Amino acid sequence: MALDPAEYTVDELRDELEEIDDPSALGEILDAERDGKDRKTAKGAIESRLDDVGGDVSDESEAADEAADSGPRAPSEETLEIEGLDHPTADKRHVRAVEDGVYQDMWVYCETQQGELIDVSREMLGKARDLMDRYNEDYDADEKVVAVVVGDDVADQAEEAIAYGADVAVYYEDERLERFLHVPYTRIFCDVARAADHPYGFRDDKPDYDWHGYDEPRYTMFPATNNGRDLSALVQGELDSGLASDCNDLYIEDVEISNPAKTGEPGTKTEFERVFHMKRPDFSGFEYSTILCLDKPEREFHPQGASVIPGSFEVPEADPEREGVVVEHDLELDDDWFRTDVIEWDQLEGGIDLSGHEVVVALGRGIGRDPTQGIELGLALVDALDDAALGLSRGVITASYNFEGHVEQYVAEERQIGESGQVVEPPLYIAAGISGAIQHKVGCDESDTIVAINTDADADIKDWSDYFVHGDLFEVLPMLTEALEEGELDVAALADGGIDDE
Amino acid sequence: MEMVTLTKGVPDFSEGAVSFDEDGHLERGETPTVMNPNDEHALKAALQTKIRHGGTASVMSMGPPGYKSVLKEAMESVYADELYLLSDREMAAADTWATAITLCTGLEKFEEEKGQKPDLVFAGFKTADGETGHTGPQTAWALGYPLLTHVISLDVYPEEGRIRAKRLVEGDVEEIETVESSLPAVVVVDPEFEPTYRKAAHRLKRKDLREETQKRAENPGDYATIWDHEDLDLDPDYIGLDGSPTIVEGVDPIPKAPSEREATVVTPEDGEGMQQVLEEIAPFAGGD
Repeated sequence: MALDPAEYTVDELRDELEEIDDPSALGEILDAERDGKDRKTAKGAIESRLDDVGGDVSDESEAADEAADSGPRAPSEETLEIEGLDHPTADKRHVRAVEDGVYQDMWVYCETQQGELIDVSREMLGKARDLMDRYNEDYDADEKVVAVVVGDDVADQAEEAIAYGADVAVYYEDERLERFLHVPYTRIFCDVARAADHPYGFRDDKPDYDWHGYDEPRYTMFPATNNGRDLSALVQGELDSGLASDCNDLYIEDVEISNPAKTGEPGTKTEFERVFHMKRPDFSGFEYSTILCLDKPEREFHPQGASVIPGSFEVPEADPEREGVVVEHDLELDDDWFRTDVIEWDQLEGGIDLSGHEVVVALGRGIGRDPTQGIELGLALVDALDDAALGLSRGVITASYNFEGHVEQYVAEERQIGESGQVVEPPLYIAAGISGAIQHKVGCDESDTIVAINTDADADIKDWSDYFVHGDLFEVLPMLTEALEEGELDVAALADGGIDDE
Repeated sequence: MEMVTLTKGVPDFSEGAVSFDEDGHLERGETPTVMNPNDEHALKAALQTKIRHGGTASVMSMGPPGYKSVLKEAMESVYADELYLLSDREMAAADTWATAITLCTGLEKFEEEKGQKPDLVFAGFKTADGETGHTGPQTAWALGYPLLTHVISLDVYPEEGRIRAKRLVEGDVEEIETVESSLPAVVVVDPEFEPTYRKAAHRLKRKDLREETQKRAENPGDYATIWDHEDLDLDPDYIGLDGSPTIVEGVDPIPKAPSEREATVVTPEDGEGMQQVLEEIAPFAGGD
């Protein structure tokens, strides 16, 4: 044999093959690869070289390879057959879009915990109701809010979803689903969501619901909780579509787009109708992004999905008289979906609860000059107070500061105050080195008295604090701590150390 | 154990490093790139597994060639053996689904090259720039591997081909779950994860590995493999921006909080003013 392919990486092999012109020698190498490492890319390289030198590749072993490779991945061979493609590339297996699809309704995944709908599930139902009432008016349509509840013994929660605004509530219950599990929950959601005759559906015998006359949902909404966010990512991936995570504002509007990735042609504009606009605070709380999930000319991206930060919307008033359709979904669970299993669970006691203290001392990016020392100074002030807790702005959590020693244990998301963290309303809130973005404000705005310490005379927090100490927290915090401990204020100590006041 | 940790380079958001233009938009070109801070926890989980059970710890990232510095950083913290960079203009500006498809393909090529599947793929929770938390889970889905997320502790049983992990669940109350899974699996590590080295032998091994890696990290390029879309057999229409379901339509600076309080402004040198502030705080004094 000219060479043993097992001795080469695929890239090296490609180079070596360039030197070989004899089809029979290449055939031997191909056989050796099949009997040996059996790498798909290696075989591809040898076959393409064979093509170049005019050799022949038998089709039988090809088919066998494909069958062997189909493995656990859901739709296998059929997803490879995309129109207009001469060879199946590695990515096409994941393309599961329908062509000229019909999309309708807004679907809300209602997460439960310990047998109850969690608050964010109710909040989303209320928001979905508002959005779809308006949608039906704007577009003279009659589309629904569809709730999905999965778990063990969740029929009552499906009824409840109707009272909070759903038109249809589909539930699936099984004792094996008492705890959230990624694979079966995703499979169940997608099985309900897809049309009975969907080309990538999991089965042939899905019930054909009369309220479900479309290929896939138009919009989906999930809670931005640990499990809800995971489910949103998997469902949208399985449905070959996109989503925005951790949104706190949603609306539906037509939009004109010039992005060539979506219009298909640079320099043109395309009107997209009924687009879910998904707004989220990002870049560590500095900016809002509006995310859109849009079809391409040759690939449709529906449903348009979002996960929603808990607390972003009001919990609506339940209306027990509201009428809707409650459906128990039927699907046989496959043992292979249970390769992960929850063996025990417990409610976390304690954690860090920043509410209920007399004082919260919160630190922001102003500690950046010496983050470890900054936290130490905050802790010292906390210690000098009778009942105080240490809080942090989101900026501190997301910054890549290096903390030394015991200080590191205090820097955790569980101490974050603001929109995506805890909301506190103590009698006294001390915000040191926090600029005061609106996301932080909503986490502490109800405090009785707010004292801010900041070196930036124009920091936003000045507009919503009662006292604004224009100074450096590295000087002001120890000054306050000392004053509390000594019982008097030593301003003289600062005579030389004050900041420049333009 | 064959392990791969996925990592990403992100703008350095720490004080002083991050740069904004006049309209308050992030200036990426002006802001240095660092390894995503949350990935540190994924790397720690991989290192713990390597020290306890042996094996190869690789790091894989999708990004521009400049990401080599990020891989070097990753190499130093996980004491990585091999580095893989999926790098190609066609992959740029991918959203999470297009990224997951690319990473899945990279991991499958890794499998082909190695002749075996990675036993464990680690990822961090949320990147500091995208902040979605979707890429790890979607990569698991594309691979068809079991998925464990928000993992705060991990035990691996190589002989049984199983892992056991504790994970955090949110909702109206916080819960902690113990989950078991077969291997291979994708593990998304929570920022609360802390590695444990109970045995002295493990702590010594860690020291040895550190020294060994410091030498390697001097020339990370010698341990790096770079694959472009052709190496991975990816059609440019299905990766990067072109393969992404979502686009960012607009970025707005966050509006200023409406003014509702009238602040008394004082400086630290202003004795009278500071006395006023102290009077607000003094009633709460006490402590140990």
